Amino acid sequence: MTNRPKRYALAIDAKKCIDCKACVVACRAENGVPLGKSRNWINEELRGDWPRLMEVFEPEQCHHCEEPACVRVCPTGASYKRSDGVVAINPSECVGCRYCMIACPYDARFFREDLGVVEKCDLCARRLDRGELPACVETCPSKVRIFGDLNDPTSEIHQILEKRQYRVKKREAGTGPNIYYLL
Amino acid sequence: MKTIEWQYLIVSYLFLGGLSAGLFFVSALTEVFRNGDSPKEEIARVGALLAPWPVMIGCTLLVFDLGHWYRFYKLFLHFRWESPMSIGSWLLLFFIGVSVLYAYGWIPSSVRKAIFAKLPTRLRFLQILNRDVSSWRRALAIAGLPMSVGVAIYTGVLLGAVQSRPFWNTNLVAQLFLFSALSGGCALLILVLGASSRKFEMHEFQSLYLLDVSFLTLEFFIVVPYFIHGELSVEAVRQSLRLVLGGPFTILFWVFFMGLGLLLPWAIEVYEALPLLLRHAQFVPRVDTATVAAPGAAVSILADTGEQAPSRKLHFSRGWAAAAAVLVLMGGVLVRYIFVFAGQMSTIQ
Repeated sequence: MTNRPKRYALAIDAKKCIDCKACVVACRAENGVPLGKSRNWINEELRGDWPRLMEVFEPEQCHHCEEPACVRVCPTGASYKRSDGVVAINPSECVGCRYCMIACPYDARFFREDLGVVEKCDLCARRLDRGELPACVETCPSKVRIFGDLNDPTSEIHQILEKRQYRVKKREAGTGPNIYYLL
Repeated sequence: MKTIEWQYLIVSYLFLGGLSAGLFFVSALTEVFRNGDSPKEEIARVGALLAPWPVMIGCTLLVFDLGHWYRFYKLFLHFRWESPMSIGSWLLLFFIGVSVLYAYGWIPSSVRKAIFAKLPTRLRFLQILNRDVSSWRRALAIAGLPMSVGVAIYTGVLLGAVQSRPFWNTNLVAQLFLFSALSGGCALLILVLGASSRKFEMHEFQSLYLLDVSFLTLEFFIVVPYFIHGELSVEAVRQSLRLVLGGPFTILFWVFFMGLGLLLPWAIEVYEALPLLLRHAQFVPRVDTATVAAPGAAVSILADTGEQAPSRKLHFSRGWAAAAAVLVLMGGVLVRYIFVFAGQMSTIQ
Protein backbone atom coordinates (compact mmCIF):
# COMPACT_ATOMS: atom_id res chain seq x y z
CA MET A 1 0.00 0.00 0.00
CA THR A 2 1.51 3.30 -1.07
CA ASN A 3 1.52 6.09 1.45
CA ARG A 4 -0.59 8.51 -0.61
CA PRO A 5 -2.05 11.56 1.11
CA LYS A 6 -5.74 11.26 1.82
CA ARG A 7 -8.26 13.28 -0.14
CA TYR A 8 -11.52 13.19 1.72
CA ALA A 9 -14.69 13.87 -0.23
CA LEU A 10 -18.41 13.37 0.02
CA ALA A 11 -20.73 11.87 -2.56
CA ILE A 12 -24.41 12.63 -2.14
CA ASP A 13 -27.14 10.45 -3.58
CA ALA A 14 -29.75 13.17 -3.35
CA LYS A 15 -32.55 11.00 -4.72
CA LYS A 16 -32.51 9.05 -1.48
CA CYS A 17 -32.89 12.13 0.69
CA ILE A 18 -36.20 12.31 2.55
CA ASP A 19 -35.57 15.71 4.17
CA CYS A 20 -35.64 14.26 7.70
CA LYS A 21 -32.85 16.68 8.73
CA ALA A 22 -31.21 14.12 10.98
CA CYS A 23 -27.86 15.21 9.49
CA VAL A 24 -28.50 18.80 10.53
CA VAL A 25 -29.42 17.74 14.06
CA ALA A 26 -26.48 15.36 14.38
CA CYS A 27 -24.12 18.10 13.23
CA ARG A 28 -25.62 20.56 15.68
CA ALA A 29 -25.14 18.10 18.53
CA GLU A 30 -21.64 17.05 17.52
CA ASN A 31 -20.25 20.51 16.87
CA GLY A 32 -22.26 22.65 19.27
CA VAL A 33 -23.78 24.70 16.46
CA PRO A 34 -26.06 27.39 17.92
CA LEU A 35 -29.71 27.56 16.91
CA GLY A 36 -30.31 29.77 13.91
CA LYS A 37 -26.99 28.79 12.33
CA SER A 38 -26.11 25.63 10.52
CA ARG A 39 -23.04 23.90 9.17
CA ASN A 40 -25.13 21.80 6.80
CA TRP A 41 -28.55 22.27 5.31
CA ILE A 42 -31.00 20.72 2.84
CA ASN A 43 -32.00 22.64 -0.27
CA GLU A 44 -35.58 22.12 -1.37
CA GLU A 45 -36.71 22.66 -4.90
CA LEU A 46 -40.12 22.21 -6.46
CA ARG A 47 -39.98 20.92 -10.00
CA GLY A 48 -42.60 20.44 -12.71
CA ASP A 49 -46.09 21.84 -13.26
CA TRP A 50 -49.24 20.94 -11.44
CA PRO A 51 -50.43 18.21 -11.24
CA ARG A 52 -47.09 16.60 -12.04
CA LEU A 53 -45.00 17.95 -9.25
CA MET A 54 -41.84 16.73 -7.65
CA GLU A 55 -40.03 17.99 -4.59
CA VAL A 56 -36.29 17.58 -4.74
CA PHE A 57 -34.09 17.57 -1.64
CA GLU A 58 -30.40 18.19 -1.84
CA PRO A 59 -28.18 18.27 1.24
CA GLU A 60 -25.32 20.72 1.12
CA GLN A 61 -22.43 21.92 3.27
CA CYS A 62 -18.88 23.12 2.80
CA HIS A 63 -17.56 21.67 -0.46
CA HIS A 64 -13.97 21.35 0.81
CA CYS A 65 -12.67 22.78 -2.45
CA GLU A 66 -9.34 21.90 -4.00
CA GLU A 67 -8.47 25.58 -4.25
CA PRO A 68 -10.67 27.19 -1.64
CA ALA A 69 -11.46 30.87 -2.13
CA CYS A 70 -11.91 31.24 1.64
CA VAL A 71 -8.38 30.03 2.32
CA ARG A 72 -6.94 32.33 -0.33
CA VAL A 73 -8.56 35.50 1.01
CA CYS A 74 -8.03 34.81 4.73
CA PRO A 75 -5.68 37.56 5.98
CA THR A 76 -4.29 35.56 8.90
CA GLY A 77 -4.22 32.01 7.59
CA ALA A 78 -6.91 30.97 10.07
CA SER A 79 -8.72 29.21 7.22
CA TYR A 80 -6.51 26.45 5.94
CA LYS A 81 -6.57 23.20 4.02
CA ARG A 82 -5.42 20.12 5.85
CA SER A 83 -3.24 17.58 4.14
CA ASP A 84 -6.21 15.19 4.01
CA GLY A 85 -8.22 17.72 1.99
CA VAL A 86 -10.42 19.03 4.80
CA VAL A 87 -10.82 22.81 4.77
CA ALA A 88 -10.79 23.88 8.40
CA ILE A 89 -10.66 27.01 10.54
CA ASN A 90 -8.27 27.67 13.38
CA PRO A 91 -10.47 29.77 15.69
CA SER A 92 -7.55 31.17 17.66
CA GLU A 93 -6.20 32.89 14.53
CA CYS A 94 -9.59 34.05 13.18
CA VAL A 95 -10.12 37.79 13.61
CA GLY A 96 -13.73 37.68 12.48
CA CYS A 97 -13.37 39.87 9.38
CA ARG A 98 -15.80 37.61 7.49
CA TYR A 99 -13.99 38.03 4.19
CA CYS A 100 -14.11 34.24 3.79
CA MET A 101 -17.90 34.27 4.08
CA ILE A 102 -18.05 36.75 1.22
CA ALA A 103 -15.55 34.77 -0.85
CA CYS A 104 -17.30 31.40 -0.46
CA PRO A 105 -19.35 30.66 -3.61
CA TYR A 106 -21.53 28.25 -1.62
CA ASP A 107 -22.30 30.51 1.34
CA ALA A 108 -21.25 27.60 3.52
CA ARG A 109 -19.90 29.71 6.37
CA PHE A 110 -21.55 31.54 9.22
CA PHE A 111 -20.46 34.02 11.85
CA ARG A 112 -20.56 33.14 15.54
CA GLU A 113 -21.36 36.50 17.11
CA ASP A 114 -20.84 35.03 20.59
CA LEU A 115 -17.31 33.83 19.81
CA GLY A 116 -16.44 36.46 17.21
CA VAL A 117 -15.22 33.84 14.76
CA VAL A 118 -16.40 32.21 11.56
CA GLU A 119 -17.42 28.55 11.55
CA LYS A 120 -18.34 25.94 8.99
CA CYS A 121 -18.35 22.22 8.31
CA ASP A 122 -14.95 20.60 8.86
CA LEU A 123 -16.23 17.10 8.09
CA CYS A 124 -16.01 16.51 11.85
CA ALA A 125 -12.22 16.66 11.70
CA ARG A 126 -11.89 15.50 15.31
CA ARG A 127 -13.93 12.39 14.54
CA LEU A 128 -11.90 11.76 11.36
CA ASP A 129 -8.71 11.90 13.41
CA ARG A 130 -10.16 9.22 15.69
CA GLY A 131 -11.01 7.10 12.65
CA GLU A 132 -14.74 7.77 12.82
CA LEU A 133 -17.14 9.03 10.17
CA PRO A 134 -18.53 12.56 10.14
CA ALA A 135 -21.68 12.82 12.26
CA CYS A 136 -23.96 13.60 9.32
CA VAL A 137 -22.71 10.57 7.39
CA GLU A 138 -23.05 8.23 10.33
CA THR A 139 -26.54 9.35 11.22
CA CYS A 140 -28.19 9.51 7.77
CA PRO A 141 -31.03 6.93 7.87
CA SER A 142 -31.46 6.66 4.11
CA LYS A 143 -27.74 6.35 3.30
CA VAL A 144 -27.64 9.49 1.16
CA ARG A 145 -24.06 10.30 2.08
CA ILE A 146 -21.02 8.35 0.99
CA PHE A 147 -17.86 9.57 2.63
CA GLY A 148 -14.33 8.44 1.93
CA ASP A 149 -10.87 8.94 0.52
CA LEU A 150 -10.80 9.63 -3.22
CA ASN A 151 -7.16 8.60 -3.37
CA ASP A 152 -7.95 5.11 -2.09
CA PRO A 153 -9.11 2.96 -5.05
CA THR A 154 -10.76 0.48 -2.70
CA SER A 155 -12.94 3.09 -1.00
CA GLU A 156 -16.68 3.09 -1.63
CA ILE A 157 -16.67 6.70 -2.82
CA HIS A 158 -13.89 6.02 -5.31
CA GLN A 159 -15.73 3.06 -6.74
CA ILE A 160 -19.12 4.72 -6.90
CA LEU A 161 -17.72 7.80 -8.66
CA GLU A 162 -16.05 5.48 -11.15
CA LYS A 163 -19.37 3.85 -12.01
CA ARG A 164 -21.99 6.56 -11.66
CA GLN A 165 -22.47 9.93 -13.23
CA TYR A 166 -22.29 12.93 -10.97
CA ARG A 167 -22.20 16.71 -10.98
CA VAL A 168 -20.56 19.32 -8.80
CA LYS A 169 -22.12 22.68 -8.00
CA LYS A 170 -20.88 25.99 -9.38
CA ARG A 171 -17.93 24.46 -11.16
CA GLU A 172 -17.46 27.81 -12.91
CA ALA A 173 -16.36 29.40 -9.63
CA GLY A 174 -13.15 27.50 -10.25
CA THR A 175 -12.58 26.37 -6.69
CA GLY A 176 -12.72 22.64 -7.41
CA PRO A 177 -15.54 21.54 -5.08
CA ASN A 178 -15.41 18.09 -3.49
CA ILE A 179 -19.06 17.30 -2.94
CA TYR A 180 -20.22 15.03 -5.74
CA TYR A 181 -23.94 14.87 -6.41
CA LEU A 182 -24.83 11.52 -7.96
CA LEU A 183 -27.26 11.75 -10.87
CA MET B 1 -26.59 30.96 4.60
CA LYS B 2 -26.77 34.17 2.64
CA THR B 3 -26.26 37.24 4.78
CA ILE B 4 -24.94 40.76 4.19
CA GLU B 5 -21.84 40.57 6.35
CA TRP B 6 -20.16 43.84 5.50
CA GLN B 7 -22.38 46.78 6.24
CA TYR B 8 -22.19 50.44 7.16
CA LEU B 9 -18.88 50.30 9.04
CA ILE B 10 -17.21 48.87 5.95
CA VAL B 11 -18.94 51.37 3.66
CA SER B 12 -17.70 54.20 5.89
CA TYR B 13 -14.20 52.81 6.00
CA LEU B 14 -14.03 52.40 2.22
CA PHE B 15 -15.10 56.03 1.84
CA LEU B 16 -12.82 57.43 4.55
CA GLY B 17 -9.81 55.41 3.45
CA GLY B 18 -10.32 56.59 -0.12
CA LEU B 19 -10.75 60.18 1.05
CA SER B 20 -7.42 60.12 2.88
CA ALA B 21 -5.71 58.57 -0.09
CA GLY B 22 -7.18 61.25 -2.33
CA LEU B 23 -6.17 64.08 0.01
CA PHE B 24 -2.66 62.74 0.32
CA PHE B 25 -2.39 62.17 -3.42
CA VAL B 26 -3.47 65.70 -4.32
CA SER B 27 -1.31 67.25 -1.60
CA ALA B 28 1.76 65.23 -2.51
CA LEU B 29 1.28 65.80 -6.23
CA THR B 30 1.00 69.54 -5.62
CA GLU B 31 4.06 69.51 -3.38
CA VAL B 32 6.18 67.60 -5.86
CA PHE B 33 5.28 69.75 -8.86
CA ARG B 34 4.64 73.17 -7.36
CA ASN B 35 8.14 74.63 -7.93
CA GLY B 36 7.91 77.06 -5.07
CA ASP B 37 4.50 78.40 -6.08
CA SER B 38 3.09 79.75 -2.84
CA PRO B 39 -0.70 79.48 -3.40
CA LYS B 40 -0.16 75.85 -4.22
CA GLU B 41 1.74 75.49 -0.98
CA GLU B 42 -1.56 76.16 0.76
CA ILE B 43 -3.23 73.32 -1.18
CA ALA B 44 -0.40 70.98 -0.22
CA ARG B 45 -0.49 72.08 3.42
CA VAL B 46 -4.24 71.76 3.91
CA GLY B 47 -4.26 68.42 2.09
CA ALA B 48 -1.40 67.12 4.19
CA LEU B 49 -2.92 68.24 7.48
CA LEU B 50 -6.31 66.70 6.63
CA ALA B 51 -5.04 63.45 5.10
CA PRO B 52 -4.28 61.24 8.14
CA TRP B 53 -7.60 61.74 9.95
CA PRO B 54 -10.21 60.05 7.74
CA VAL B 55 -8.13 56.91 7.29
CA MET B 56 -7.44 56.67 11.02
CA ILE B 57 -11.14 56.99 11.80
CA GLY B 58 -11.89 54.49 9.02
CA CYS B 59 -9.40 51.96 10.38
CA THR B 60 -10.94 52.30 13.84
CA LEU B 61 -14.30 51.43 12.28
CA LEU B 62 -12.69 48.45 10.55
CA VAL B 63 -11.27 47.19 13.81
CA PHE B 64 -14.67 47.46 15.48
CA ASP B 65 -16.23 45.53 12.62
CA LEU B 66 -14.11 42.50 13.55
CA GLY B 67 -15.47 39.69 15.69
CA HIS B 68 -13.46 40.93 18.67
CA TRP B 69 -11.78 44.27 18.14
CA TYR B 70 -8.75 43.37 20.26
CA ARG B 71 -7.85 40.52 17.93
CA PHE B 72 -6.88 42.96 15.16
CA TYR B 73 -3.19 42.61 16.04
CA LYS B 74 -3.28 39.12 14.56
CA LEU B 75 -3.53 40.77 11.14
CA PHE B 76 0.00 42.01 11.73
CA LEU B 77 1.43 38.68 12.80
CA HIS B 78 0.99 37.34 9.28
CA PHE B 79 1.58 38.48 5.77
CA ARG B 80 -0.30 36.58 3.08
CA TRP B 81 0.27 37.97 -0.40
CA GLU B 82 -2.71 36.02 -1.77
CA SER B 83 -5.12 37.83 0.54
CA PRO B 84 -5.99 41.39 -0.52
CA MET B 85 -7.01 42.08 3.07
CA SER B 86 -3.60 41.11 4.39
CA ILE B 87 -1.84 43.28 1.80
CA GLY B 88 -4.28 46.08 2.57
CA SER B 89 -3.73 45.92 6.33
CA TRP B 90 0.00 46.34 5.94
CA LEU B 91 -0.46 49.03 3.30
CA LEU B 92 -2.77 50.96 5.62
CA LEU B 93 -0.25 50.70 8.43
CA PHE B 94 2.55 52.16 6.32
CA PHE B 95 0.31 54.73 4.68
CA ILE B 96 -0.92 56.01 8.04
CA GLY B 97 2.68 56.24 9.23
CA VAL B 98 3.82 58.21 6.19
CA SER B 99 0.78 60.48 6.11
CA VAL B 100 1.11 61.32 9.82
CA LEU B 101 4.79 62.12 9.38
CA TYR B 102 4.00 64.16 6.26
CA ALA B 103 1.31 66.09 8.11
CA TYR B 104 3.76 66.67 10.96
CA GLY B 105 6.19 68.14 8.47
CA TRP B 106 3.55 70.68 7.47
CA ILE B 107 2.76 71.94 10.97
CA PRO B 108 4.20 75.46 11.22
CA SER B 109 7.21 75.42 13.52
CA SER B 110 5.71 78.13 15.78
CA VAL B 111 2.64 75.94 16.40
CA ARG B 112 4.79 72.89 17.01
CA LYS B 113 6.99 74.75 19.49
CA ALA B 114 3.95 76.13 21.28
CA ILE B 115 2.51 72.62 21.64
CA PHE B 116 5.74 71.19 23.02
CA ALA B 117 6.17 74.13 25.38
CA LYS B 118 2.88 73.16 27.04
CA LEU B 119 3.94 69.56 27.73
CA PRO B 120 3.69 68.62 31.40
CA THR B 121 7.01 67.82 33.07
CA ARG B 122 6.23 64.11 33.21
CA LEU B 123 6.07 63.98 29.42
CA ARG B 124 9.27 65.93 28.87
CA PHE B 125 10.87 62.93 27.21
CA LEU B 126 8.54 63.58 24.25
CA GLN B 127 10.69 66.61 23.49
CA ILE B 128 12.68 64.23 21.36
CA LEU B 129 9.85 64.52 18.82
CA ASN B 130 10.14 68.29 18.73
CA ARG B 131 12.07 68.51 15.49
CA ASP B 132 11.66 70.21 12.21
CA VAL B 133 10.89 67.64 9.52
CA SER B 134 9.70 70.16 6.95
CA SER B 135 12.74 69.39 4.82
CA TRP B 136 11.41 65.81 4.47
CA ARG B 137 8.15 66.95 2.88
CA ARG B 138 9.20 66.29 -0.68
CA ALA B 139 10.73 62.91 0.09
CA LEU B 140 7.67 61.89 2.10
CA ALA B 141 5.40 63.08 -0.71
CA ILE B 142 7.27 60.98 -3.25
CA ALA B 143 7.34 57.95 -0.95
CA GLY B 144 3.67 58.32 -0.07
CA LEU B 145 2.31 58.87 -3.58
CA PRO B 146 2.39 55.19 -4.62
CA MET B 147 1.08 54.23 -1.17
CA SER B 148 -1.87 56.58 -1.50
CA VAL B 149 -2.70 55.14 -4.92
CA GLY B 150 -2.34 51.70 -3.36
CA VAL B 151 -4.72 52.49 -0.51
CA ALA B 152 -7.26 53.99 -2.91
CA ILE B 153 -7.12 51.09 -5.34
CA TYR B 154 -6.88 48.35 -2.74
CA THR B 155 -10.39 48.98 -1.45
CA GLY B 156 -11.67 48.04 -4.89
CA VAL B 157 -9.29 45.11 -5.22
CA LEU B 158 -10.57 43.81 -1.86
CA LEU B 159 -14.04 43.56 -3.33
CA GLY B 160 -13.00 42.52 -6.81
CA ALA B 161 -10.79 39.64 -5.74
CA VAL B 162 -13.57 37.19 -4.97
CA GLN B 163 -14.85 35.05 -7.81
CA SER B 164 -18.10 34.27 -6.02
CA ARG B 165 -19.50 37.81 -6.30
CA PRO B 166 -19.93 38.60 -9.99
CA PHE B 167 -20.97 42.19 -9.31
CA TRP B 168 -17.48 42.86 -7.99
CA ASN B 169 -15.33 40.46 -9.88
CA THR B 170 -13.80 42.84 -12.41
CA ASN B 171 -10.78 45.11 -12.38
CA LEU B 172 -13.08 48.04 -13.18
CA VAL B 173 -14.30 48.15 -9.58
CA ALA B 174 -10.78 48.84 -8.37
CA GLN B 175 -10.35 51.60 -10.95
CA LEU B 176 -13.73 53.08 -10.14
CA PHE B 177 -12.85 53.22 -6.45
CA LEU B 178 -9.44 54.70 -7.24
CA PHE B 179 -10.77 57.64 -9.24
CA SER B 180 -13.69 58.13 -6.92
CA ALA B 181 -11.21 58.34 -4.03
CA LEU B 182 -8.92 60.80 -5.79
CA SER B 183 -11.79 63.03 -6.86
CA GLY B 184 -13.15 62.87 -3.29
CA GLY B 185 -9.80 64.18 -2.05
CA CYS B 186 -9.97 67.06 -4.55
CA ALA B 187 -13.55 67.81 -3.59
CA LEU B 188 -12.84 67.99 0.13
CA LEU B 189 -9.91 70.30 -0.55
CA ILE B 190 -12.06 72.58 -2.70
CA LEU B 191 -14.66 72.61 0.07
CA VAL B 192 -12.22 73.33 2.88
CA LEU B 193 -10.12 75.89 1.00
CA GLY B 194 -13.25 77.59 -0.28
CA ALA B 195 -14.69 77.81 3.20
CA SER B 196 -11.52 79.06 4.86
CA SER B 197 -11.58 82.66 6.00
CA ARG B 198 -8.07 83.13 4.70
CA LYS B 199 -7.68 85.52 1.79
CA PHE B 200 -7.83 83.20 -1.13
CA GLU B 201 -7.67 84.07 -4.77
CA MET B 202 -10.02 82.08 -6.90
CA HIS B 203 -7.45 81.28 -9.55
CA GLU B 204 -5.63 79.22 -6.96
CA PHE B 205 -8.30 76.59 -7.32
CA GLN B 206 -7.59 75.96 -10.94
CA SER B 207 -5.27 72.99 -10.44
CA LEU B 208 -7.80 71.37 -8.08
CA TYR B 209 -10.57 71.93 -10.59
CA LEU B 210 -8.58 70.45 -13.43
CA LEU B 211 -7.65 67.42 -11.34
CA ASP B 212 -11.21 66.88 -10.17
CA VAL B 213 -12.68 67.21 -13.65
CA SER B 214 -10.10 64.71 -14.93
CA PHE B 215 -10.86 62.22 -12.16
CA LEU B 216 -14.62 62.52 -12.61
CA THR B 217 -14.23 62.07 -16.37
CA LEU B 218 -12.15 58.95 -15.82
CA GLU B 219 -14.71 57.69 -13.32
CA PHE B 220 -17.46 58.14 -15.88
CA PHE B 221 -15.51 56.27 -18.51
CA ILE B 222 -15.04 53.40 -16.09
CA VAL B 223 -18.72 53.12 -15.23
CA VAL B 224 -19.62 52.93 -18.93
CA PRO B 225 -17.39 49.94 -19.78
CA TYR B 226 -18.39 48.33 -16.48
CA PHE B 227 -21.90 48.02 -17.88
CA ILE B 228 -20.89 47.23 -21.45
CA HIS B 229 -18.53 44.46 -20.38
CA GLY B 230 -20.98 43.19 -17.80
CA GLU B 231 -23.79 42.94 -20.30
CA LEU B 232 -21.52 41.06 -22.69
CA SER B 233 -20.27 38.73 -19.96
CA VAL B 234 -21.51 35.40 -18.65
CA GLU B 235 -24.99 34.90 -17.25
CA ALA B 236 -23.98 35.37 -13.61
CA VAL B 237 -22.54 38.82 -14.31
CA ARG B 238 -25.56 39.90 -16.33
CA GLN B 239 -27.80 38.65 -13.53
CA SER B 240 -25.82 40.63 -10.97
CA LEU B 241 -26.12 43.82 -13.04
CA ARG B 242 -29.90 43.53 -12.68
CA LEU B 243 -29.35 44.84 -9.14
CA VAL B 244 -28.65 48.28 -10.60
CA LEU B 245 -30.58 47.84 -13.85
CA GLY B 246 -34.13 47.39 -12.66
CA GLY B 247 -33.27 46.02 -9.22
CA PRO B 248 -33.24 47.50 -5.73
CA PHE B 249 -30.30 49.86 -6.35
CA THR B 250 -31.41 51.27 -9.71
CA ILE B 251 -32.60 54.70 -8.62
CA LEU B 252 -29.83 55.08 -6.09
CA PHE B 253 -27.23 54.25 -8.72
CA TRP B 254 -28.49 56.15 -11.74
CA VAL B 255 -30.17 59.16 -10.17
CA PHE B 256 -28.21 59.73 -7.00
CA PHE B 257 -24.76 58.40 -7.92
CA MET B 258 -24.49 58.84 -11.69
CA GLY B 259 -26.72 61.91 -11.90
CA LEU B 260 -26.22 63.88 -8.72
CA GLY B 261 -22.92 62.44 -7.54
CA LEU B 262 -20.97 62.31 -10.79
CA LEU B 263 -22.45 64.05 -13.83
CA LEU B 264 -23.89 67.10 -12.08
CA PRO B 265 -20.69 68.04 -10.20
CA TRP B 266 -18.77 67.28 -13.38
CA ALA B 267 -21.02 69.67 -15.30
CA ILE B 268 -20.71 72.35 -12.62
CA GLU B 269 -16.94 72.08 -12.54
CA VAL B 270 -16.60 72.02 -16.30
CA TYR B 271 -18.83 75.07 -16.55
CA GLU B 272 -16.77 76.82 -13.91
CA ALA B 273 -13.49 75.85 -15.47
CA LEU B 274 -14.54 76.25 -19.08
CA PRO B 275 -12.66 79.47 -19.77
CA LEU B 276 -9.57 77.80 -18.42
CA LEU B 277 -10.05 74.68 -20.48
CA LEU B 278 -10.95 76.37 -23.75
CA ARG B 279 -8.97 79.55 -23.79
CA HIS B 280 -5.97 78.86 -21.60
CA ALA B 281 -7.17 81.76 -19.53
CA GLN B 282 -6.85 82.03 -15.77
CA PHE B 283 -9.64 82.33 -13.28
CA VAL B 284 -9.87 86.04 -12.75
CA PRO B 285 -11.25 87.45 -9.56
CA ARG B 286 -12.84 90.92 -9.55
CA VAL B 287 -10.03 93.05 -10.96
CA ASP B 288 -9.55 96.13 -13.01
CA THR B 289 -9.02 95.88 -16.72
CA ALA B 290 -5.58 97.27 -16.32
CA THR B 291 -4.36 94.37 -14.18
CA VAL B 292 -5.60 91.70 -16.57
CA ALA B 293 -2.43 91.03 -18.41
CA ALA B 294 -1.93 89.58 -21.83
CA PRO B 295 -4.48 86.69 -22.27
CA GLY B 296 -6.46 87.78 -25.28
CA ALA B 297 -9.52 85.81 -24.30
CA ALA B 298 -10.03 87.56 -21.02
CA VAL B 299 -9.57 90.93 -22.61
CA SER B 300 -12.08 90.21 -25.32
CA ILE B 301 -14.67 89.26 -22.70
CA LEU B 302 -14.04 92.52 -20.97
CA ALA B 303 -14.48 94.31 -24.24
CA ASP B 304 -17.85 92.57 -24.76
CA THR B 305 -19.36 93.18 -21.39
CA GLY B 306 -17.84 96.32 -20.13
CA GLU B 307 -15.57 96.59 -17.18
CA GLN B 308 -17.90 95.69 -14.35
CA ALA B 309 -18.32 91.97 -14.40
CA PRO B 310 -15.31 90.05 -15.64
CA SER B 311 -15.49 87.52 -12.79
CA ARG B 312 -19.12 86.67 -13.52
CA LYS B 313 -18.28 86.10 -17.12
CA LEU B 314 -15.42 83.86 -16.11
CA HIS B 315 -17.78 81.84 -13.93
CA PHE B 316 -16.49 81.39 -10.49
CA SER B 317 -18.54 81.15 -7.39
CA ARG B 318 -17.71 79.69 -4.01
CA GLY B 319 -21.28 78.50 -3.75
CA TRP B 320 -21.10 76.37 -6.87
CA ALA B 321 -17.66 75.11 -5.91
CA ALA B 322 -18.99 73.99 -2.54
CA ALA B 323 -22.09 72.44 -4.10
CA ALA B 324 -20.03 70.46 -6.59
CA ALA B 325 -17.66 69.31 -3.86
CA VAL B 326 -20.48 68.16 -1.57
CA LEU B 327 -22.10 66.30 -4.47
CA VAL B 328 -18.82 64.56 -5.32
CA LEU B 329 -18.39 63.46 -1.70
CA MET B 330 -22.00 62.25 -1.57
CA GLY B 331 -21.40 60.30 -4.76
CA GLY B 332 -18.31 58.76 -3.18
CA VAL B 333 -20.29 57.50 -0.21
CA LEU B 334 -23.12 56.25 -2.41
CA VAL B 335 -21.00 54.33 -4.88
CA ARG B 336 -19.38 52.47 -2.00
CA TYR B 337 -22.70 51.80 -0.34
CA ILE B 338 -24.16 50.46 -3.58
CA PHE B 339 -21.15 48.30 -4.37
CA VAL B 340 -20.76 46.86 -0.88
CA PHE B 341 -24.41 45.90 -0.54
CA ALA B 342 -25.21 44.93 -4.14
CA GLY B 343 -21.99 42.95 -4.41
CA GLN B 344 -22.85 40.79 -1.44
CA MET B 345 -26.32 40.20 -2.83
CA SER B 346 -24.92 38.98 -6.14
CA THR B 347 -24.05 35.33 -6.52
CA ILE B 348 -23.22 32.67 -9.06
CA GLN B 349 -26.48 30.88 -9.80
